[in-house]
Amino acid sequence: MTRTPLPDDRLDLRGVKCPANSARALVRLEGLDAGAVLEIVLDDGEPVETVPAALADEGHVVIDRRRDGATWTLLVRAGG
Amino acid sequence: MSSIYLDNAATTRPDPCVLDVLRRVADEAHGNPASTHAEGRAAALVVERARAQVAGRLGVPAERLLFTSGGTEANNLALLGVAWEHAARGRHLVTSAVEHASVLAPCAWLERRGWSVTRVPVDGQGFVDPGDVVSSLRADTVLVSVGHANAEIGTLQPVTELAAACRERGVLFHSDACQSFTRAPLGDGAALPDLVSLNAHKLHGPKGIGALYVRAGVVLQPLLHGGEQEGALRAGTPNTPGIAGFGAAVGLASDDDSPAIAVRRDALLQRILDAIPGVLLNGPRERRLCTNLNVSFPGCSGRALLAELDRRGVRASRGSACSSGSTLPSHVLTAIGRTPVQADGSLRFSLSRFTDDAEVEGAFQALLASLDAVRRAA
Repeated sequence: MTRTPLPDDRLDLRGVKCPANSARALVRLEGLDAGAVLEIVLDDGEPVETVPAALADEGHVVIDRRRDGATWTLLVRAGG
Repeated sequence: MSSIYLDNAATTRPDPCVLDVLRRVADEAHGNPASTHAEGRAAALVVERARAQVAGRLGVPAERLLFTSGGTEANNLALLGVAWEHAARGRHLVTSAVEHASVLAPCAWLERRGWSVTRVPVDGQGFVDPGDVVSSLRADTVLVSVGHANAEIGTLQPVTELAAACRERGVLFHSDACQSFTRAPLGDGAALPDLVSLNAHKLHGPKGIGALYVRAGVVLQPLLHGGEQEGALRAGTPNTPGIAGFGAAVGLASDDDSPAIAVRRDALLQRILDAIPGVLLNGPRERRLCTNLNVSFPGCSGRALLAELDRRGVRASRGSACSSGSTLPSHVLTAIGRTPVQADGSLRFSLSRFTDDAEVEGAFQALLASLDAVRRAA
Protein backbone atom coordinates (compact mmCIF):
# COMPACT_ATOMS: atom_id res chain seq x y z
CA MET A 1 0.00 0.00 0.00
CA THR A 2 1.35 3.44 -0.96
CA ARG A 3 1.52 5.88 1.94
CA THR A 4 0.19 9.39 1.41
CA PRO A 5 3.14 11.78 1.83
CA LEU A 6 3.11 14.52 4.42
CA PRO A 7 2.80 17.96 2.82
CA ASP A 8 5.71 20.41 2.88
CA ASP A 9 3.39 23.41 2.64
CA ARG A 10 -0.31 24.18 2.82
CA LEU A 11 -2.52 26.61 0.92
CA ASP A 12 -6.12 27.32 1.85
CA LEU A 13 -8.01 28.53 -1.22
CA ARG A 14 -11.50 28.32 0.21
CA GLY A 15 -13.48 31.36 -0.85
CA VAL A 16 -10.97 32.29 -3.58
CA LYS A 17 -12.62 32.48 -6.98
CA CYS A 18 -11.42 31.11 -10.31
CA PRO A 19 -8.94 31.72 -11.79
CA ALA A 20 -7.22 33.45 -8.85
CA ASN A 21 -7.21 30.12 -6.98
CA SER A 22 -5.26 28.38 -9.75
CA ALA A 23 -2.90 31.33 -10.04
CA ARG A 24 -2.19 31.37 -6.30
CA ALA A 25 -1.57 27.64 -6.31
CA LEU A 26 0.81 27.95 -9.27
CA VAL A 27 2.73 30.79 -7.63
CA ARG A 28 3.08 28.78 -4.41
CA LEU A 29 4.25 25.70 -6.34
CA GLU A 30 6.76 27.83 -8.24
CA GLY A 31 8.35 28.64 -4.89
CA LEU A 32 8.74 25.00 -3.87
CA ASP A 33 11.52 22.60 -4.81
CA ALA A 34 10.66 20.01 -7.43
CA GLY A 35 9.14 17.02 -5.68
CA ALA A 36 7.88 18.97 -2.68
CA VAL A 37 4.25 18.37 -1.77
CA LEU A 38 1.69 21.15 -1.39
CA GLU A 39 -1.62 20.55 0.34
CA ILE A 40 -4.36 22.65 -1.20
CA VAL A 41 -7.78 23.13 0.34
CA LEU A 42 -10.45 24.00 -2.23
CA ASP A 43 -14.16 24.63 -2.52
CA ASP A 44 -16.37 22.11 -4.28
CA GLY A 45 -17.74 23.00 -7.70
CA GLU A 46 -15.83 25.09 -10.24
CA PRO A 47 -12.64 25.32 -8.15
CA VAL A 48 -12.13 21.58 -7.87
CA GLU A 49 -13.16 21.18 -11.49
CA THR A 50 -10.56 23.64 -12.79
CA VAL A 51 -7.62 23.96 -10.39
CA PRO A 52 -6.24 20.39 -10.72
CA ALA A 53 -6.22 20.67 -14.50
CA ALA A 54 -4.54 24.07 -14.41
CA LEU A 55 -1.79 22.68 -12.17
CA ALA A 56 -1.34 19.61 -14.34
CA ASP A 57 -0.97 21.84 -17.40
CA GLU A 58 2.08 23.37 -15.75
CA GLY A 59 3.70 20.04 -14.93
CA HIS A 60 2.56 19.54 -11.34
CA VAL A 61 1.06 16.23 -10.28
CA VAL A 62 -2.07 15.79 -8.19
CA ILE A 63 -1.24 12.73 -6.11
CA ASP A 64 -4.27 12.64 -3.84
CA ARG A 65 -7.67 14.26 -3.53
CA ARG A 66 -10.19 13.89 -0.74
CA ARG A 67 -13.62 15.35 -0.23
CA ASP A 68 -15.02 16.48 3.08
CA GLY A 69 -18.46 17.93 2.50
CA ALA A 70 -18.13 21.09 0.43
CA THR A 71 -14.35 21.10 0.76
CA TRP A 72 -11.66 19.24 -1.16
CA THR A 73 -8.10 18.63 -0.06
CA LEU A 74 -5.54 18.02 -2.79
CA LEU A 75 -1.96 16.88 -2.44
CA VAL A 76 0.12 18.21 -5.31
CA ARG A 77 3.71 17.30 -6.06
CA ALA A 78 5.63 20.23 -7.52
CA GLY A 79 6.99 19.64 -10.99
CA GLY A 80 10.53 20.53 -12.02
CA MET B 1 20.25 71.50 -19.02
CA SER B 2 19.81 68.17 -17.29
CA SER B 3 17.86 68.32 -14.07
CA ILE B 4 18.70 67.06 -10.62
CA TYR B 5 15.60 65.38 -9.28
CA LEU B 6 15.43 65.62 -5.49
CA ASP B 7 11.68 65.30 -5.04
CA ASN B 8 11.52 61.55 -4.70
CA ALA B 9 9.24 61.75 -1.66
CA ALA B 10 6.60 63.21 -3.97
CA THR B 11 7.14 60.55 -6.57
CA THR B 12 10.01 58.70 -8.19
CA ARG B 13 11.04 58.14 -11.75
CA PRO B 14 10.01 54.61 -12.76
CA ASP B 15 12.89 52.21 -13.12
CA PRO B 16 13.44 51.37 -16.83
CA CYS B 17 12.88 47.69 -16.03
CA VAL B 18 9.48 48.60 -14.54
CA LEU B 19 8.56 50.45 -17.72
CA ASP B 20 9.44 47.34 -19.72
CA VAL B 21 7.19 45.25 -17.47
CA LEU B 22 4.30 47.72 -17.80
CA ARG B 23 4.47 47.64 -21.58
CA ARG B 24 4.85 43.89 -21.80
CA VAL B 25 2.09 43.04 -19.33
CA ALA B 26 -0.36 45.55 -20.81
CA ASP B 27 0.11 43.75 -24.10
CA GLU B 28 0.63 40.10 -23.21
CA ALA B 29 -1.61 39.85 -20.12
CA HIS B 30 -4.43 42.07 -21.28
CA GLY B 31 -7.17 39.69 -20.13
CA ASN B 32 -9.35 40.43 -17.14
CA PRO B 33 -7.83 38.53 -14.19
CA ALA B 34 -11.34 37.46 -13.20
CA SER B 35 -11.98 35.77 -16.55
CA THR B 36 -11.49 32.03 -16.64
CA HIS B 37 -10.26 31.79 -20.23
CA ALA B 38 -6.58 31.60 -21.09
CA GLU B 39 -6.04 35.37 -21.27
CA GLY B 40 -7.77 35.80 -17.93
CA ARG B 41 -5.73 33.02 -16.35
CA ALA B 42 -2.52 34.58 -17.67
CA ALA B 43 -3.48 37.94 -16.14
CA ALA B 44 -4.44 36.29 -12.84
CA LEU B 45 -1.03 34.62 -12.72
CA VAL B 46 0.68 37.98 -13.24
CA VAL B 47 -1.38 39.49 -10.42
CA GLU B 48 -0.70 36.65 -8.02
CA ARG B 49 3.03 36.58 -8.75
CA ALA B 50 3.21 40.29 -7.97
CA ARG B 51 1.10 39.85 -4.86
CA ALA B 52 3.50 37.19 -3.60
CA GLN B 53 6.46 39.46 -4.37
CA VAL B 54 5.09 42.53 -2.58
CA ALA B 55 3.73 40.53 0.36
CA GLY B 56 6.96 38.60 0.66
CA ARG B 57 8.95 41.81 0.97
CA LEU B 58 6.64 43.02 3.72
CA GLY B 59 6.84 39.59 5.34
CA VAL B 60 3.13 38.80 5.26
CA PRO B 61 1.02 36.06 3.65
CA ALA B 62 0.17 36.95 0.06
CA GLU B 63 -3.53 36.36 0.60
CA ARG B 64 -3.61 39.13 3.20
CA LEU B 65 -2.46 41.83 0.76
CA LEU B 66 -5.01 43.57 -1.43
CA PHE B 67 -4.17 45.93 -4.24
CA THR B 68 -5.59 49.46 -4.34
CA SER B 69 -5.21 52.47 -6.62
CA GLY B 70 -2.46 53.85 -4.40
CA GLY B 71 -1.50 54.85 -0.90
CA THR B 72 -4.33 57.34 -0.55
CA GLU B 73 -6.95 54.70 -1.22
CA ALA B 74 -5.17 52.25 1.08
CA ASN B 75 -5.21 54.80 3.90
CA ASN B 76 -8.86 55.67 3.29
CA LEU B 77 -9.81 52.00 3.19
CA ALA B 78 -7.98 51.27 6.43
CA LEU B 79 -9.51 54.19 8.33
CA LEU B 80 -13.02 54.30 6.92
CA GLY B 81 -13.27 50.52 6.50
CA VAL B 82 -12.38 49.84 10.13
CA ALA B 83 -14.48 52.76 11.42
CA TRP B 84 -17.60 51.57 9.61
CA GLU B 85 -17.12 47.94 10.52
CA HIS B 86 -16.67 48.69 14.21
CA ALA B 87 -19.07 51.62 14.54
CA ALA B 88 -21.38 49.69 16.86
CA ARG B 89 -18.48 48.92 19.22
CA GLY B 90 -16.89 52.35 19.31
CA ARG B 91 -16.41 55.59 17.45
CA HIS B 92 -13.03 56.85 18.61
CA LEU B 93 -9.82 56.89 16.59
CA VAL B 94 -6.31 57.97 17.51
CA THR B 95 -3.76 59.39 15.11
CA SER B 96 -0.88 61.85 15.26
CA ALA B 97 -0.61 65.52 14.45
CA VAL B 98 1.85 64.88 11.62
CA GLU B 99 0.08 62.35 9.42
CA HIS B 100 -0.34 62.58 5.66
CA ALA B 101 -3.48 64.27 4.36
CA SER B 102 -4.86 60.90 3.27
CA VAL B 103 -5.02 59.91 6.95
CA LEU B 104 -5.99 63.25 8.47
CA ALA B 105 -8.76 63.98 5.96
CA PRO B 106 -10.65 60.69 6.48
CA CYS B 107 -10.35 61.29 10.23
CA ALA B 108 -11.87 64.75 9.81
CA TRP B 109 -14.58 63.28 7.57
CA LEU B 110 -15.46 60.78 10.29
CA GLU B 111 -15.47 63.52 12.91
CA ARG B 112 -18.10 65.41 10.94
CA ARG B 113 -20.23 62.27 11.12
CA GLY B 114 -20.08 61.72 14.85
CA TRP B 115 -16.78 59.93 15.44
CA SER B 116 -14.20 61.48 17.77
CA VAL B 117 -10.52 61.65 16.91
CA THR B 118 -7.54 62.22 19.17
CA ARG B 119 -4.46 63.63 17.45
CA VAL B 120 -1.49 62.98 19.68
CA PRO B 121 1.28 65.59 19.55
CA VAL B 122 4.89 64.95 18.54
CA ASP B 123 8.16 66.14 20.02
CA GLY B 124 10.54 68.62 18.40
CA GLN B 125 11.88 65.96 16.05
CA GLY B 126 8.50 64.62 15.04
CA PHE B 127 8.39 61.52 17.24
CA VAL B 128 5.16 60.24 18.68
CA ASP B 129 5.48 59.15 22.32
CA PRO B 130 3.88 55.67 22.63
CA GLY B 131 2.88 56.67 26.17
CA ASP B 132 0.75 59.48 24.72
CA VAL B 133 -0.95 57.02 22.39
CA VAL B 134 -1.64 54.57 25.20
CA SER B 135 -3.02 57.27 27.48
CA SER B 136 -5.35 58.45 24.71
CA LEU B 137 -6.97 55.02 24.30
CA ARG B 138 -10.55 54.69 25.50
CA ALA B 139 -13.05 51.88 25.82
CA ASP B 140 -14.55 52.96 22.50
CA THR B 141 -11.25 53.30 20.57
CA VAL B 142 -11.34 51.12 17.47
CA LEU B 143 -8.19 52.16 15.61
CA VAL B 144 -4.83 53.87 16.02
CA SER B 145 -3.12 55.14 12.87
CA VAL B 146 0.46 56.39 12.93
CA GLY B 147 2.56 56.47 9.78
CA HIS B 148 5.96 54.78 9.70
CA ALA B 149 8.05 57.50 8.02
CA ASN B 150 6.88 61.08 7.98
CA ALA B 151 6.55 62.32 4.41
CA GLU B 152 7.89 65.79 5.14
CA ILE B 153 10.64 65.35 7.71
CA GLY B 154 11.44 61.62 7.54
CA THR B 155 10.93 60.80 11.22
CA LEU B 156 10.64 57.02 11.66
CA GLN B 157 8.01 56.36 14.27
CA PRO B 158 8.32 53.52 16.83
CA VAL B 159 5.70 51.44 15.05
CA THR B 160 6.77 48.12 16.58
CA GLU B 161 6.26 49.55 20.04
CA LEU B 162 2.97 51.15 19.02
CA ALA B 163 1.72 47.93 17.43
CA ALA B 164 2.55 45.94 20.57
CA ALA B 165 0.90 48.49 22.84
CA CYS B 166 -2.28 48.51 20.76
CA ARG B 167 -2.43 44.73 20.46
CA GLU B 168 -2.02 44.36 24.22
CA ARG B 169 -5.08 46.56 24.63
CA GLY B 170 -7.18 45.01 21.87
CA VAL B 171 -7.09 48.04 19.57
CA LEU B 172 -6.29 47.77 15.86
CA PHE B 173 -3.16 49.57 14.67
CA HIS B 174 -2.64 50.92 11.14
CA SER B 175 0.53 52.39 9.68
CA ASP B 176 1.04 54.25 6.43
CA ALA B 177 4.34 52.88 5.13
CA CYS B 178 4.21 54.47 1.68
CA GLN B 179 7.42 56.45 2.22
CA SER B 180 9.39 53.73 3.96
CA PHE B 181 8.50 50.48 2.20
CA THR B 182 11.69 48.65 1.13
CA ARG B 183 13.78 51.43 2.73
CA ALA B 184 13.28 50.95 6.47
CA PRO B 185 12.19 47.78 8.29
CA LEU B 186 8.68 47.85 9.67
CA GLY B 187 9.01 44.79 11.90
CA ASP B 188 7.88 41.28 11.22
CA GLY B 189 5.29 38.76 12.27
CA ALA B 190 3.40 39.75 15.38
CA ALA B 191 5.38 43.02 15.54
CA LEU B 192 3.80 44.28 12.34
CA PRO B 193 0.83 46.64 12.44
CA ASP B 194 -2.59 45.08 11.80
CA LEU B 195 -2.97 47.16 8.65
CA VAL B 196 -0.20 48.62 6.49
CA SER B 197 -0.57 50.96 3.50
CA LEU B 198 1.91 50.73 0.63
CA ASN B 199 2.35 52.22 -2.79
CA ALA B 200 4.56 51.68 -5.81
CA HIS B 201 5.42 55.10 -7.15
CA LYS B 202 7.60 56.05 -4.19
CA LEU B 203 9.94 53.16 -5.02
CA HIS B 204 10.40 53.61 -8.77
CA GLY B 205 7.22 51.73 -9.59
CA PRO B 206 4.20 53.00 -11.52
CA LYS B 207 1.69 55.54 -10.28
CA GLY B 208 -1.88 54.43 -9.63
CA ILE B 209 -1.13 51.26 -7.72
CA GLY B 210 -0.85 50.58 -4.02
CA ALA B 211 -1.73 47.93 -1.49
CA LEU B 212 -3.18 47.41 1.94
CA TYR B 213 -2.04 44.59 4.19
CA VAL B 214 -4.84 43.38 6.44
CA ARG B 215 -3.90 40.96 9.21
CA ALA B 216 -5.90 37.72 9.31
CA GLY B 217 -8.98 38.19 11.47
CA VAL B 218 -9.22 41.95 10.90
CA VAL B 219 -12.58 42.79 9.36
CA LEU B 220 -13.29 46.00 7.48
CA GLN B 221 -15.92 47.37 5.15
CA PRO B 222 -15.05 48.08 1.49
CA LEU B 223 -15.10 51.59 0.06
CA LEU B 224 -15.82 50.43 -3.49
CA HIS B 225 -18.75 48.19 -4.32
CA GLY B 226 -19.66 46.35 -7.50
CA GLY B 227 -17.40 43.33 -7.70
CA GLU B 228 -15.83 40.54 -5.68
CA GLN B 229 -12.24 41.42 -6.57
CA GLU B 230 -9.54 41.51 -3.91
CA GLY B 231 -11.45 39.38 -1.47
CA ALA B 232 -14.56 41.56 -1.98
CA LEU B 233 -12.72 44.43 -0.30
CA ARG B 234 -11.91 46.38 -3.44
CA ALA B 235 -14.31 46.13 -6.35
CA GLY B 236 -13.02 46.91 -9.82
CA THR B 237 -10.94 45.26 -12.51
CA PRO B 238 -7.40 44.99 -11.17
CA ASN B 239 -4.75 47.18 -12.76
CA THR B 240 -2.72 44.25 -14.02
CA PRO B 241 0.16 46.23 -15.57
CA GLY B 242 0.41 48.45 -12.49
CA ILE B 243 0.35 45.46 -10.18
CA ALA B 244 3.07 43.74 -12.20
CA GLY B 245 5.07 46.98 -12.16
CA PHE B 246 4.67 47.19 -8.38
CA GLY B 247 6.03 43.67 -8.04
CA ALA B 248 8.92 44.45 -10.35
CA ALA B 249 9.75 47.65 -8.46
CA VAL B 250 9.83 45.76 -5.18
CA GLY B 251 12.08 43.14 -6.71
CA LEU B 252 14.48 45.85 -7.88
CA ALA B 253 14.66 47.62 -4.52
CA SER B 254 17.65 46.28 -2.64
CA ASP B 255 18.09 46.44 1.12
CA ASP B 256 21.60 47.65 0.32
CA ASP B 257 20.32 50.86 -1.30
CA SER B 258 19.34 52.59 1.93
CA PRO B 259 22.78 53.00 3.58
CA ALA B 260 24.24 54.45 0.37
CA ILE B 261 21.34 56.89 0.01
CA ALA B 262 21.73 57.94 3.65
CA VAL B 263 25.44 58.65 3.12
CA ARG B 264 24.64 61.03 0.23
CA ARG B 265 21.79 62.63 2.17
CA ASP B 266 24.12 63.21 5.14
CA ALA B 267 26.78 64.62 2.84
CA LEU B 268 24.32 67.16 1.46
CA LEU B 269 23.20 68.11 4.95
CA GLN B 270 26.78 68.57 6.12
CA ARG B 271 27.63 70.75 3.12
CA ILE B 272 24.59 72.91 3.88
CA LEU B 273 25.32 73.18 7.61
CA ASP B 274 28.99 74.03 6.98
CA ALA B 275 28.26 76.72 4.39
CA ILE B 276 25.02 78.40 5.44
CA PRO B 277 24.74 79.94 8.90
CA GLY B 278 21.55 79.49 10.88
CA VAL B 279 20.15 76.53 8.96
CA LEU B 280 17.84 74.31 11.00
CA LEU B 281 17.43 70.61 10.34
CA ASN B 282 13.78 69.65 10.53
CA GLY B 283 13.38 66.16 11.94
CA PRO B 284 15.89 63.89 13.66
CA ARG B 285 19.47 62.97 12.77
CA GLU B 286 18.92 59.34 13.72
CA ARG B 287 15.85 57.17 13.13
CA ARG B 288 15.21 59.10 9.97
CA LEU B 289 14.20 57.85 6.53
CA CYS B 290 17.37 57.55 4.45
CA THR B 291 16.01 59.55 1.53
CA ASN B 292 14.74 62.58 3.43
CA LEU B 293 16.35 65.93 4.16
CA ASN B 294 14.28 68.90 5.31
CA VAL B 295 15.90 72.17 6.33
CA SER B 296 14.79 75.69 7.23
CA PHE B 297 16.77 78.57 5.75
CA PRO B 298 16.61 81.66 7.95
CA GLY B 299 15.21 84.84 6.45
CA CYS B 300 14.34 83.19 3.18
CA SER B 301 11.08 82.45 1.39
CA GLY B 302 10.88 78.76 0.62
CA ARG B 303 8.64 79.46 -2.35
CA ALA B 304 11.17 81.87 -3.88
CA LEU B 305 14.05 79.52 -3.13
CA LEU B 306 12.22 76.62 -4.72
CA ALA B 307 11.62 78.67 -7.86
CA GLU B 308 15.30 79.68 -8.04
CA LEU B 309 16.39 76.07 -7.63
CA ASP B 310 13.96 74.99 -10.31
CA ARG B 311 15.43 77.62 -12.63
CA ARG B 312 18.84 76.04 -12.01
CA GLY B 313 17.56 72.55 -12.73
CA VAL B 314 17.13 71.30 -9.17
CA ARG B 315 13.74 69.85 -8.26
CA ALA B 316 12.88 69.94 -4.57
CA SER B 317 9.69 70.72 -2.66
CA ARG B 318 8.29 72.62 0.26
CA GLY B 319 6.68 69.57 1.83
CA SER B 320 4.22 66.88 0.99
CA ALA B 321 3.12 67.01 -2.65
CA CYS B 322 -0.46 66.52 -1.48
CA SER B 323 -0.22 69.82 0.40
CA SER B 324 1.69 71.78 -2.25
CA GLY B 325 0.07 75.01 -3.27
CA SER B 326 -1.28 75.53 0.23
CA THR B 327 -0.65 78.97 1.66
CA LEU B 328 -0.81 77.63 5.21
CA PRO B 329 2.38 76.69 7.04
CA SER B 330 3.10 72.95 7.02
CA HIS B 331 1.15 71.19 9.76
CA VAL B 332 4.16 68.94 10.31
CA LEU B 333 6.63 71.78 10.79
CA THR B 334 4.15 73.60 13.00
CA ALA B 335 3.70 70.45 15.09
CA ILE B 336 7.45 70.17 15.74
CA GLY B 337 7.52 73.76 16.94
CA ARG B 338 8.73 75.69 13.92
CA THR B 339 7.42 79.25 13.67
CA PRO B 340 5.42 80.22 10.56
CA VAL B 341 8.49 82.08 9.28
CA GLN B 342 10.77 79.09 9.82
CA ALA B 343 8.21 76.81 8.22
CA ASP B 344 7.91 79.14 5.25
CA GLY B 345 11.67 79.02 4.74
CA SER B 346 11.83 75.22 4.68
CA LEU B 347 12.63 72.93 1.79
CA ARG B 348 12.57 69.16 1.43
CA PHE B 349 15.22 67.42 -0.62
CA SER B 350 14.43 63.74 -1.15
CA LEU B 351 16.97 61.42 -2.71
CA SER B 352 16.67 58.04 -4.38
CA ARG B 353 18.94 55.17 -5.30
CA PHE B 354 19.54 56.94 -8.61
CA THR B 355 20.92 60.10 -6.94
CA ASP B 356 24.70 60.20 -7.37
CA ASP B 357 27.52 62.19 -5.78
CA ALA B 358 27.72 64.62 -8.68
CA GLU B 359 24.03 65.44 -8.31
CA VAL B 360 24.45 66.05 -4.60
CA GLU B 361 27.29 68.47 -5.30
CA GLY B 362 25.36 70.08 -8.16
CA ALA B 363 22.32 70.57 -5.95
CA PHE B 364 24.45 72.11 -3.23
CA GLN B 365 26.08 74.59 -5.61
CA ALA B 366 22.68 75.48 -7.07
CA LEU B 367 21.35 76.00 -3.55
CA LEU B 368 24.12 78.46 -2.73
CA ALA B 369 23.45 80.41 -5.91
CA SER B 370 19.69 80.31 -5.33
CA LEU B 371 19.99 81.54 -1.76
CA ASP B 372 22.16 84.39 -2.93
CA ALA B 373 19.64 85.33 -5.62
CA VAL B 374 16.67 85.20 -3.26
CA ARG B 375 18.41 87.28 -0.60
CA ARG B 376 19.57 89.89 -3.11
CA ALA B 377 16.04 90.19 -4.48
CA ALA B 378 14.47 90.55 -1.01
